[in-house]
Amino acid sequence: MNLTVRSERDSLAERVPFGVFKHMRSWVVLAPFMLFVAVFLLWPTFSVFRSALQPVEGSSKPAMLEAISGQYLDAILYSVRLSALTAGLGAVIGTLVAVSAVSLNQFKGLRNVLVGYSAVAANLGGIPLAFAFVASLGMQGLYTKLLSVIGINLSDLGFKISDFSGIVIVYLYFQIPLMTLVMLPAVDGLKVTLKEAAASVGATPRQYWRSIGIPLLSPSLLGGFLLLFANAFSAYATAYALSAGGSNLVSVQIRFYLQGNTITGKSNLGYALAAWMIVVMVLAMSGYLGLRRRSERWRK
Amino acid sequence: MSKHMKVTKKVQIALGFTVAGLLLGACGSSSESTESTDAAIVSDCPAADIVDAATAEAKVNLIALPDTWANYKGILQSFRDKYAAIENPVANPDASSADELTAVETLAGQPDMPDAVDVSPAFAQEFDTKGLWEPYQPCLWDEIPTTLKDPDGKWVAAYYGLMAIGVNTTVVTEVPTSFAELTDAKYKGLVALNGDPRESGAAFAAVMAAAIANGGSFDDILPGIQYFADLKKSGNLSGSDVTPASVISGETPLVLDWTYNYPGLAPTLAENGVTFEVKVPTDGIYGGFYAQGVVKNSPHQNASKLWISHLISDEGALGYIEGGAIPARFDALVASGKVTPEMMKNLPDPALTANITFPSADQVAKAKEVLAAQWGPMVSGN
Amino acid sequence: MIRRNFWSKVILVIVAAFYVLPMIAMARFSFQRVPVIKLGWSTLGKNWTADSLIDAVTSERFLQAGWLSIRLALLSVVLSLVILIPTTVYVHVMKKSARSYVEFLSILPYVVPPIALVVGISGAMKVLGTWFLASPFSLVPFYVIISLPFTFRSLDTSLGAIDLKTLVEASRSLGASWMRTTRMVILPNLKVGIINASFLSFATVLGEFTIASLLLKFTLPAYLAESQGSNPQGTFSVGLLLLVVSSLMFALMNRLSKRKGHALTGLTL
Repeated sequence: MNLTVRSERDSLAERVPFGVFKHMRSWVVLAPFMLFVAVFLLWPTFSVFRSALQPVEGSSKPAMLEAISGQYLDAILYSVRLSALTAGLGAVIGTLVAVSAVSLNQFKGLRNVLVGYSAVAANLGGIPLAFAFVASLGMQGLYTKLLSVIGINLSDLGFKISDFSGIVIVYLYFQIPLMTLVMLPAVDGLKVTLKEAAASVGATPRQYWRSIGIPLLSPSLLGGFLLLFANAFSAYATAYALSAGGSNLVSVQIRFYLQGNTITGKSNLGYALAAWMIVVMVLAMSGYLGLRRRSERWRK
Repeated sequence: MSKHMKVTKKVQIALGFTVAGLLLGACGSSSESTESTDAAIVSDCPAADIVDAATAEAKVNLIALPDTWANYKGILQSFRDKYAAIENPVANPDASSADELTAVETLAGQPDMPDAVDVSPAFAQEFDTKGLWEPYQPCLWDEIPTTLKDPDGKWVAAYYGLMAIGVNTTVVTEVPTSFAELTDAKYKGLVALNGDPRESGAAFAAVMAAAIANGGSFDDILPGIQYFADLKKSGNLSGSDVTPASVISGETPLVLDWTYNYPGLAPTLAENGVTFEVKVPTDGIYGGFYAQGVVKNSPHQNASKLWISHLISDEGALGYIEGGAIPARFDALVASGKVTPEMMKNLPDPALTANITFPSADQVAKAKEVLAAQWGPMVSGN
Repeated sequence: MIRRNFWSKVILVIVAAFYVLPMIAMARFSFQRVPVIKLGWSTLGKNWTADSLIDAVTSERFLQAGWLSIRLALLSVVLSLVILIPTTVYVHVMKKSARSYVEFLSILPYVVPPIALVVGISGAMKVLGTWFLASPFSLVPFYVIISLPFTFRSLDTSLGAIDLKTLVEASRSLGASWMRTTRMVILPNLKVGIINASFLSFATVLGEFTIASLLLKFTLPAYLAESQGSNPQGTFSVGLLLLVVSSLMFALMNRLSKRKGHALTGLTL
């Protein structure tokens, strides 16, 4: 079989039907997406920045400058910390779950139940999820009471579900399943043959993972981490329902200015905070792309 | 919501209506205005042409009226009982005042644009600035105190309430009666605000009330912020958010909320075997109202006007009383003997509300500035 | 291998416990009318009731809201796939350089707050025609946008696992038409991605509240939010029921899709 070498750009475009307008034809495929996104995503994003660059009532500097100072900067950094932490933990645990599920492939129902529940759990949040944890580990929680019956007093140990650690735990409830769903197809793609080949050459499981498994998975790992980071970064309902500390998150604070009952006239500040969130995501994306480019070299 | 209510709820609401119905006599049942036998009620109120026009419109789009807030469930029902041909659907009951404004602006010109809104005073001002109020002075306007209405008739405050401490006595046995008492170490981790004051009207009012209790005033909210900062440092301030579920479960046994937010939960609390008391703090008495009005250029103008009339009418007022809110025409109703002591069980002591004053729009605006700048660093910051 | 299986089981058991235990606590709260402080051996069996659950699921409001949400979810899934499958295939097969841009666009919906989407789009729509926002189906484009991160990521990951470009090139150079290539090479490899994307998108729509509430559309989450104030226990029990039903439904669909399809590893050469 002779697969002639062709340059990346032309090979497939040439074989596209109605091949005369080859480059135009390939763009047409992307057109619905671009049009849709332009109207329903880019236009609102542009409006956010347009409002963000105007000053808040009673001030002369653009809202975006005000939104990056003092307590607002603290809020942004706090959100970044929480998101990175829950994304990291979620990514690790979620991948472990995916790997475990794939290695236990023989249990037919397991995979289906896992996928089914993960899809639902990844979208849980807000008051129900927060309350489920309050009902479990809050001051009047079911398990708090059970533990106190056997002598373990959570509040004496300094644990409150409304602390930072509580927020992290609750966030993991939707981070882990999301990562699981992202990683399952990728782990599936790790062909068993490679694993067996490695074993037959005498590699230990750890060596397999280190030189083959993880490098092959790394684009999906990074992509999943980014997704989890964005997921946590934008979440507000769960933290607000769970803890007063949720008010330290920038996503919650945006609501004070855009969807509240008390503060009026500061909507530009709300849009400015949203604009900074977008900037943070752009930075995160660039970091991710850089790392992914490097990891892709390992794959070859 | 289901039509099959639990027995206890049914009984409570039936009782409320029976009493209201008995007292209202002739005025309550027909949809045409009739000669009333009760001299205190102005006949031809609401005007027959408005009732007819509203019936022709057959619908009033309402928003942000939760069932358990000031007994809106009962008030919506009494409107339906009186004007059977007019639907009054409530969209997005948990909408914030800002959400109401967004809905009015986003859905302008469409059939589901809200016809009447119920917003905090700050947003009543916003609506005014944006020219979204349709001025309307229902009959009985003169019986409403000047502090509870807009001079140009743009909005009316059909009800107000006081900031009160709600105590879950199943969890907390010693009932606090003042802000000062809440700082006691025995209430560690138990005192909860209904949300963040930068977003929630009830939480904002709690901070104002605390300010008054600690040497501040309508012009000076800082002592209130300081109070909560200290409460957080001592560990008394709970980190948990107040929701109906958290009140029932006992996670937030000491709640700071409006007097009219408690009666709605009473049936469910009773069902769960939870006993509850409501105490207006003796050192910080603070009242707050919400403003209702007709939205300009909304699809059902007359039905909307009829709704506003209904809110300040006797039926509406009695509905609010049942819900723990003091209606705008409270003094007129008491004077004409329509309110029995039995009906006032959910209301705070009238002595407390006798000389109630509310902060002006400017005072509220200034307090919010201070709050927005200071609450984060002083109280919630890490 | 056996050791791997042991640790796999341990991990899954721990995570399963983490998933299930909070739901059990919430179920106890929803179905039993006894506050935890009074819970003891004597009260353990008392006051259990499913009345509020039954009332809620048979209520007209619930059924109306649920039906709307299901229709919105189905439409959103279809529209998402119609828009995204060609797009993902394109960036994997034809123009890999475009992938980063599409990826960035897919992450963007996370950080644009829902209110900005609503206000921004309603502004644009006023120019194009106010009729759009009046219909509840105006939510569908919003929902496609907010599930973009999940749908793109699912499709993207399943294509990224194998070198689709080479496969397609090989298939084409072997003489297969585009139709045949699509059917036998592209779609089988996309299958897991399509399934995951559909589930996640469906679940997202069933759980989305802010946009629907701002546009005053009565979806299932709007119903749940509304009944939460007056009847939290009933609402949570409905939530739990939905959780169980959705999971089972997705699990079943996952199983059924496997029966018809090819193996998931995707190499067909």
